[in-house]
Amino acid sequence: MSRRVLLHVGCPKTGTSYLQDVLFRNQPVLREHDILYPADRFDAHFLAALDLMTLPWGGIETEAVGAWDRLAAEVRDWHGTSIVSHEIFARATPTQVERALASLGDAEVHLVLSVRDLVRQIPAEWQENVKHRSHITYAKFLRTIRDPARDSRIGSWFWAVQEIPDILERWGSSLPPERVHLVTLPPPGADRGELWRRFSRTFGLDGLPLDLTAERENPSLGVPETSLLRTINERVTSIIAPPDYRPLVRETLAHQTLSRSVASARLGLAPEDHAWARELSERWIEVLAARGYDVAGSLDDLLGPDAGTFADPDSATADELLPPALDAISALLVEAARLRAVEERLHGEVREAREELDRARATPAYRARRKVVTTLENSPAGRGSLDAYRRLRGHKD
Amino acid sequence: MTAPSSATRPAASVHGWVAHLRSGGTTPWLEWTDPGAGDEPAGRALPGAQQLELLRRINLARPSSARPRGDHDRERTRLADRVLAAPAAGRGKADLPLIGAGTTGFGARPVDPSSVDAHELLRVASTLLADDLVALGPDPVRRGMPRPWRRRFQLVGDPVVATAAREHLLGRGRPEGGPRPFVVAVGGPLDDLLAHTWTQRCFEHGSRPWGDWLRFWRERDQLPARVDLDDSVRRWGGRRPFVRIVTDLDRLPEHLGVRRLPPVRVPGADQAELARRISAVVGIRVPVAERPALMRTLQTRMPDSGVAPVVVPAAEHEWVATSAARMERRLTRAGYPVVGDLADLAPRAAADRPGPSRPAGQAGVDGQQVLDLAIRMIVDPGWRTGRERRVEQ
Repeated sequence: MSRRVLLHVGCPKTGTSYLQDVLFRNQPVLREHDILYPADRFDAHFLAALDLMTLPWGGIETEAVGAWDRLAAEVRDWHGTSIVSHEIFARATPTQVERALASLGDAEVHLVLSVRDLVRQIPAEWQENVKHRSHITYAKFLRTIRDPARDSRIGSWFWAVQEIPDILERWGSSLPPERVHLVTLPPPGADRGELWRRFSRTFGLDGLPLDLTAERENPSLGVPETSLLRTINERVTSIIAPPDYRPLVRETLAHQTLSRSVASARLGLAPEDHAWARELSERWIEVLAARGYDVAGSLDDLLGPDAGTFADPDSATADELLPPALDAISALLVEAARLRAVEERLHGEVREAREELDRARATPAYRARRKVVTTLENSPAGRGSLDAYRRLRGHKD
Repeated sequence: MTAPSSATRPAASVHGWVAHLRSGGTTPWLEWTDPGAGDEPAGRALPGAQQLELLRRINLARPSSARPRGDHDRERTRLADRVLAAPAAGRGKADLPLIGAGTTGFGARPVDPSSVDAHELLRVASTLLADDLVALGPDPVRRGMPRPWRRRFQLVGDPVVATAAREHLLGRGRPEGGPRPFVVAVGGPLDDLLAHTWTQRCFEHGSRPWGDWLRFWRERDQLPARVDLDDSVRRWGGRRPFVRIVTDLDRLPEHLGVRRLPPVRVPGADQAELARRISAVVGIRVPVAERPALMRTLQTRMPDSGVAPVVVPAAEHEWVATSAARMERRLTRAGYPVVGDLADLAPRAAADRPGPSRPAGQAGVDGQQVLDLAIRMIVDPGWRTGRERRVEQ
């Protein structure tokens, strides 16, 4: 059987979490059909990307030591098709791309890039920034990414993972166009299964008995919820370390609480920004069409929806912020109560251990020995004698 | 002759400049006028402006060698290839294209490499140095035969002083710990304790930048665990007769059971900042448990540059003074024996300290000084090839 590697390198906010979750949970079924998704944990390919790109990520990178080389070795050793998928690969530099492709051996490499229109990607990326500790306002975010200098950290990251023609140049320039596959996200309102059908066709998963239950997604937030989170970040980013922020703010608040408000207004672009994004997208579509890539869906999907009513998150009123704020307080109180219960249980275990120790020490013989040791420890000669005694007994201090 | 910055040059010109740098050249890109001096090397992506400019600066800093030409050339080319392949660590800019190098119109805006700032060059330099450190491996820890009569102690407090003393005493057969140890808390002016704590963290697991780290604690109105002497003593189970709060460092040796300790060398601001950056890359190169030993090795081998340690900026003095007063009150109430004077915990006045290398009150570390140190360490491998430094100043 011919060896193939399907290398899915982005983009963020294109349904990648769902795809990776399906692949991760269905590894045995995939293997039965000669498809390898090599991952011992859900974020295995994320760690491989951090390793490949020497990318510190709030401490998580310490779990990524050697992750790319291990992943590449598994791919090289596999006899059939392998799938590698993470959206932050989109940011790799040409040198890193060269190293990545070289380490995959002589397999036939296919590049996959899932893409969505800028009209939806820009608000989604701002939300993602807010969920990663940023308190940049939406207006400033837009100014930052529209600055051609791309000098800021946010601007350079945004374009590195969202500028589709550039990503494809970096990753796909050494591949024939028929081995570069674009998966476009269907327009809003399309059948919910359509994106999966496009992924399935591109990755060769059609007809496999996969469990497609959505267990893990990266849900979006409404306008007041994102605005609230940004305001919270203004207060806490500098005083809550990333290992605490991740479970408390991103998971508990953003993903498990604030994302449930499905009735809230969704974030879009103001008319002037919408026109700019549309114009840029048209240029991209022209370039991509000329390059002749394989497209699952339609390049026209990259134009994005028409401008709708714009709700500005920077001017959300206190009345709008109050309901999500109360939800946030409730969620944090419930989480605090859960952690108190954990703490109480641990205290109980320590108490039991101490009581057991005290019972063991309550004998007269122990108290007498303790007295002798205490006396000896108070002088150098005594400490020397004790040390010699302990050596004879084979004790170590 | 200076080429016009915006003119697009043939690809051969770019590869010619890369070849020029690989062979030790120092001509800036905008002054490179040879239109086609280099062939495109097969299978090699063009490095970013960060890598290319760092290599040019390294070439500028390289001394002419008295070694045989062939060895010198091979070593120079090996280093050049490492620089060109090194990633810029962290979430900064992607590899930047060269101005005039004929880009496709997508990607980052092309730049003049000589205008790339120190921070960007340091992202590449810290990767190189981290790889050097990992390749070097940790220095062995010197352990003397334990003296049975030694005084048992547990050192807490000032991390720079405690780490140096701990290592020295271990080498003299007086390891920390043992049954019923005295908890010896090393104190000092609180601003110094904070600066030393951040500095030592840079040589352990890494840290946030100095200003961010200080802000983290100030906004929480808390002290880091190792700075909070009262909390440190309690954490180690210290009971009043077996605790010493030492603010007079001249008297520290007697409470550790020795006559003297070597003078402590506090790393300069540039050393700490470079270590912080290297530590971040080492964290992604070796398992987490191996990082402290490597960073300890770096601390003992890093060359001195004479730059003063970081200082607490004036804007934080009020908070530091309040925190020092609070700690003094708590230690007084606890009634621990004090060697020296708890009043010495008050922050030192800014005028008393040795002159920092930057305007007073600025928390930032001078990026150019850090880059100079990094380039010096890349160019001169003495810190890797020599024995570890034994004499501390």
